[in-house]
Amino acid sequence: MIRPNTADTTTPMVWLQGVTKHYGTVVALDEIDLEVRRSEFLTLLGPSGSGKTTILNLISGMVGPTAGRIWIDGKDITEMPPNKRGLGMVFQNYALMPHMTVFENIAFPLRVRKLKSGVIKTKVAEVLDLVRLPEVARRKPSELSGGQQQRIAIARCLVYNPSIILMDEPLGALDKKLREEMQLELKRLHASLDITAIYVTHDQEEALTMSDRIVLLNDGQIEQMGTPDDLYFHPRSLFSAEFLGDSNILSGNIEEAGPTVTISTAVGQCRCSRACGFAESGTPVKIMVRPENVFILPPGTSDEHLNKVPARMVDTITFGGVIKSYLQLADGSSMVVQELTRAGQSVPEAGSEVYVAWSSEDTIILPVEGRIEIPAPPS
Amino acid sequence: MADSNLRRVETLGGLPPARGTVWVAWFMFFFLIAPSLIIIPMSFGDLNEIYFPPRSLSLFLYREYFFESVWMETTFQSIKVAILSTMAGMFLGATAAYGIVRATFRGKKMLGALLLSPLFVPNIVIALGLYIYFARMGLQGTTFCLVLGHTLFVTPFVMVVVMAALRGVDPNLEAAAKTMGAGRIYTFRRVTLPLLRPALVTGGLFAFLMSFDELVISFFLSGFGTQTLPVKMYDSIVLEISPVLSAISVLLTLLAFVICVIITIFYNPDRRTRLRLTGEAETETKTTET
Repeated sequence: MIRPNTADTTTPMVWLQGVTKHYGTVVALDEIDLEVRRSEFLTLLGPSGSGKTTILNLISGMVGPTAGRIWIDGKDITEMPPNKRGLGMVFQNYALMPHMTVFENIAFPLRVRKLKSGVIKTKVAEVLDLVRLPEVARRKPSELSGGQQQRIAIARCLVYNPSIILMDEPLGALDKKLREEMQLELKRLHASLDITAIYVTHDQEEALTMSDRIVLLNDGQIEQMGTPDDLYFHPRSLFSAEFLGDSNILSGNIEEAGPTVTISTAVGQCRCSRACGFAESGTPVKIMVRPENVFILPPGTSDEHLNKVPARMVDTITFGGVIKSYLQLADGSSMVVQELTRAGQSVPEAGSEVYVAWSSEDTIILPVEGRIEIPAPPS
Repeated sequence: MADSNLRRVETLGGLPPARGTVWVAWFMFFFLIAPSLIIIPMSFGDLNEIYFPPRSLSLFLYREYFFESVWMETTFQSIKVAILSTMAGMFLGATAAYGIVRATFRGKKMLGALLLSPLFVPNIVIALGLYIYFARMGLQGTTFCLVLGHTLFVTPFVMVVVMAALRGVDPNLEAAAKTMGAGRIYTFRRVTLPLLRPALVTGGLFAFLMSFDELVISFFLSGFGTQTLPVKMYDSIVLEISPVLSAISVLLTLLAFVICVIITIFYNPDRRTRLRLTGEAETETKTTET
């Protein structure tokens, strides 16, 4: 198979057109429209049960949609059996054949394609070099560690040059250090091989590190779609804000709309100088600010541009490179402040009265329910 | 060996059995196996009567068995019926197991229970039913109806073993093979079947032994010239009490013993996981180095 590099780049590599999937009475996917661009690394992110694995199974052909069409590279493949789709898939539990050696495992897709044994030998050797495990060809998968098994699973996928690789939480079973190593490894392979990758994970950090674009799913629907920056800095719903990164949330009402929006909350007024879709005063909203954008001010300091509310220190925890302070506001709600640790840093003691402050630019206004329908700023 | 077994019990969170328990277990074992053991010295007797202990030792009774044409004929008949019904039972049992475990359809549980029901219905009931049924069709007494009856009898055994094994085969392996381009048949031949091989061998041997030893169904379904070895043995107990029976019993026990040993070697469901666990522990250190 030759990868269609010369094909036009405007056709999406994968297109889910109004796809719905029901399992009995459960709605796993509710009329999803999703385009995956050629050569991009797209992550399907969401809590369990949000429909991300269902999307993968629909693309691979393991299940069929209840309604809608699925297109790959401009062809309608909704009815095509999985073995004709020419995709690659990496499973969370690796799915290596336990009765075959590593060599035979990787040779499997080539034998299916009836390649000559000489060709198979060179191809397997090449791909084993690519995943940096040239010495394990004659071993059984059970003799390898989890990380090595996953690399073999990836090699088995790369060996037949599928234009699309589907990955279902491939690093989920590995420990943290190995997972981070493998994330970089996957990024390297994706960049050097020009493949379209569709990656499923429930780990937001992993999604932020690896993706060109993230599709955030919630309850069978697309909550938000965009670059990691988009999702992190311009969440369009409470769900997005809370799922990606840490967030401090306050409730309030719009007091004054305009270029700078003023919101009244139980702990005082806040201003937001970001564009948002709320014009009507009196609308109940939520405001969100990331912990790393909040800082603690000793009492007495003042700054016009800052939102400033009184707070009481509750606890401080150092996480290596960062230090998190937990504070309580006047109305009982809590706020987390995250700062970089420096040697000799002093933090106010627990119980002391301080101010927490953040800039109006870092204040994000979100609807109480649903999502803002304005497009996120182009990235 | 015993030492490593104890260690395995401990790693699973259990305690090694108390000394008293071990002694009781051994006593019960010998109590149950003693009748079979007593047959062994008796089979080396040299008289035309069953006597314990034998007055002198010889292979007279074995010679009698191997050179008497009636015994050989019924033995070959038993082997023939056992092989044919084992083959049919393996095919039916394995395919039924695959359908019951992998497919999703309405009434799957009911069908599974129905297919396994010959295990729970008393043999005498099956035998009587088949006797009446085949007699109506004019098939009673033929080897063909014996094979059919035995197939019915052994299929659930194969099914149970294959179903258990199939539940242990990760469906993702078949899914992976399909995404890599393999069709249904290729996937079954190259992935599912090799993984089920130990279960098929076990189920097959088990089925063979069950059919070879079976008396009740054979007694009802066989006729003149189609008698199986157990039926002939039963006849000879009733009619003549031939001492050759003790020699045959020893040989049958030996056959069952050999088959059980083979089954234990082939069918060790946790052997694979144990290998994987130790393999992982060994290689884990290597990866952290690289």
